[in-house]
Amino acid sequence: MTVTVANDEARRPLGRLAFSRHAAMGWGLMSPALVILAIMAIAPAIYLVYVSFRHENLLGPGSMFVGLQNYSRVVSNRENWSAALSTIQFVVLAVSLELGFGLGLALLLNRRLPESDLLTALFILPLGVAPVVSALVFRVLLDPAYGWVDYYLQTWGLIAEPIDWLGNPFTAWVAIVSLDVWQWTPFVTLILLAGLSGVPSDPKEAAIMDGAGPVQLFWHITLPFLRPFIAIALVLRSIDAFKTFGSIFVLTTGGPGTSTEVINLTLYRIALQNFDIGAAAALGIVFLVFLSVIMQQLLGVIGRNTDILED
Amino acid sequence: MTDFSEKAGSAKMALSRRGILKSGTTLLACALAGSTLGALSRQAFAAAAKPTSLNMLYATSEADSDAIKAALPDFKAAMGFDINLDTMPYNALQQKAFAELASGSSYYDIMIVDTPWMPALTNKIEPITDMVLDGALSADLNVKDFIPKVFFDTAVYKRDASNLHFDKTDVVDPAAIKAGGFDIFGLPMQANALTLAYRKDLFDDSANQKAYKEKTGKDLAPPKDWDEFTAIAQFFTDPSKRHWGTTLMAGAGDWATDDFKTLLAGFGGDGHLVNDKFEPTFDSPEGVAALTFYADLINGKKVTPPGTTSASWDNVATSFSDGLSAMTMNYHDLSLSPSVKGSVAYAVIPMGKSIGPHFGTWMLSVNSFSKNKEWAYRAIQWFTSAATQTKALAHQLHPTRVSVYEAAIKDPAIGERFANFYDVLGKSLAVGVGRPRLTNYGDVDRAIWVAVNDAARGAATPEAALKAAGGQVRDLLAQAGYKAQ
Repeated sequence: MTVTVANDEARRPLGRLAFSRHAAMGWGLMSPALVILAIMAIAPAIYLVYVSFRHENLLGPGSMFVGLQNYSRVVSNRENWSAALSTIQFVVLAVSLELGFGLGLALLLNRRLPESDLLTALFILPLGVAPVVSALVFRVLLDPAYGWVDYYLQTWGLIAEPIDWLGNPFTAWVAIVSLDVWQWTPFVTLILLAGLSGVPSDPKEAAIMDGAGPVQLFWHITLPFLRPFIAIALVLRSIDAFKTFGSIFVLTTGGPGTSTEVINLTLYRIALQNFDIGAAAALGIVFLVFLSVIMQQLLGVIGRNTDILED
Repeated sequence: MTDFSEKAGSAKMALSRRGILKSGTTLLACALAGSTLGALSRQAFAAAAKPTSLNMLYATSEADSDAIKAALPDFKAAMGFDINLDTMPYNALQQKAFAELASGSSYYDIMIVDTPWMPALTNKIEPITDMVLDGALSADLNVKDFIPKVFFDTAVYKRDASNLHFDKTDVVDPAAIKAGGFDIFGLPMQANALTLAYRKDLFDDSANQKAYKEKTGKDLAPPKDWDEFTAIAQFFTDPSKRHWGTTLMAGAGDWATDDFKTLLAGFGGDGHLVNDKFEPTFDSPEGVAALTFYADLINGKKVTPPGTTSASWDNVATSFSDGLSAMTMNYHDLSLSPSVKGSVAYAVIPMGKSIGPHFGTWMLSVNSFSKNKEWAYRAIQWFTSAATQTKALAHQLHPTRVSVYEAAIKDPAIGERFANFYDVLGKSLAVGVGRPRLTNYGDVDRAIWVAVNDAARGAATPEAALKAAGGQVRDLLAQAGYKAQ
């Protein structure tokens, strides 16, 4: 025992030396990336936290430490809560529909029809359009006076009078979610299509031999294999949907009233229209904490569903 | 003692002589230094080295950048150096301007500034009062030619109390402005006011005139008051023919506030929305009457095209241009689409108990961080001169000088192209009502347009909408440090 200890003690400095050389090399190799990370992410984040405790007047005197005042203001503001709820409502609705439609399209395109390649190319076209441009096009299409949507709905006798899509909270939400679904369903489709191409044929053939129908095949064979890909699509789309700004800004600017104001619009308004940098930083941090909790749960979804890939 | 006293006396005398000599020398030195510095400072205005170019930040469409672009070759010929022009749409422009000024950047020598931004910028924009008062530097300025109301609303501020208005506004007198503790922060460049555009072909049509006379007993002419406005709007409204009486800008945005404040002033209220005592003036009986009238045009009388409650200023311009309405209110002149056969003429916004069409002017200002302040001042003087503005009329610049409006009215080519727009714009500016001077006007504006939009689409009664907005605005004013007096 004593010998062992002596040996350990004798070995330790050499081990430390070896470790420190090894570690130094590692740190040295990582240092360029760490410096960039520190400059681009860590320092701004620290500055953001610092600013959130201050009243910052960028254009004149009057900047001062205000403690938790900015946090108190943004948390006690009912409009901010309403914007947060609108954001969640938007993400849940848009991502659910995208997953549903995306799965349907992926199953359709996976049938190896002669037209599949052409259809896949057509379906991914919306992905190539900038969200702001899509929103401008939607705005024109939905114009009740000269837009195509109301024109054809009236021509086909589906509505008696033009619908002011962006002048009513419900239809404005329909427009916003539709735009997002139109634009991002192809993204989900592509992920799920990749997943479908990896579903092995043996279990399917065995199940068919055992008399399984299409629904049972989908439910018991295809869907379990697709779960990891659905989880990845869910997480990626949710993260992106929480960041949506340009399309809503162009389509409704948060209106009618404040009914479609999502948190990103509020942040933009406070930071870049009112230049209340302290309050914007506080709201940004509160939103970041909220998002971190949500993302933790969503990443857990991925973790639970990728087991099948490891198996 | 005597010796001492003599010594003391001689010492006193000596000190006195020395003192006199010292004082005299000091005074002489001060006088020399003062006169030299004074001369130097005067010379500085006249003798700063001419740059090879200046950088200018400008608005793309809101302040008509085409007019500036067209003037650049003449500027080079007249001034001997270039202007590097950057133009941006409104939101990007505001962010760029504020970011440049906040960071103390000297890149832009000249910046275009919108009226609502100015209360927050008085510490960053260079006061040009002394340069305006410099006879040599401003020999050709003719500052009294600027429309006084436009000049004072746009360019005259008290640096440390940017909410205050200068009280003597009948004539532009830079010396009086300086004596009153105020400063001039730029020269007005583009004056926008709400004017009423109407389809002249429809108003002149004999069948319409006869039908209108039979219906109302009055001649069909541009409306003089809001009752006539309503009657004419109803007369021209026929949804089966996809035609409506008028447009309104009731969508979510600053334009809804502009519509409302115009009506508020017309209904006898204070169109500034917030008075100099920091009290909201719009949640008043006049405000409720104005908003009730506005909402009734949309929901009750239905004289506006579908989509009014989501319409902005450019949407209504398109609707009018496409022949969907007989009248519209907008900030600029309008033309009809080629498919719509007809002509456009203009009138001042109808009169109610009072009148106060919304107006807001852009000014050209000198960045206080610029390294070429004097030449930047010379440049803005050139761009806002009567000669440049007169030439820019063809590019739809909205002038800010009395003499340019007079020239526009007399010019048949301008009349042929823009009808009576400039005559009406000049008259509208003379009676227009600007915005309140608040550092957080963006927030106040938003609270009001949300109320207008809510009332216009029937989501709230005008009373409830304005009461809610009034409460919000009081909170916002308090948050910004404005204490009701």
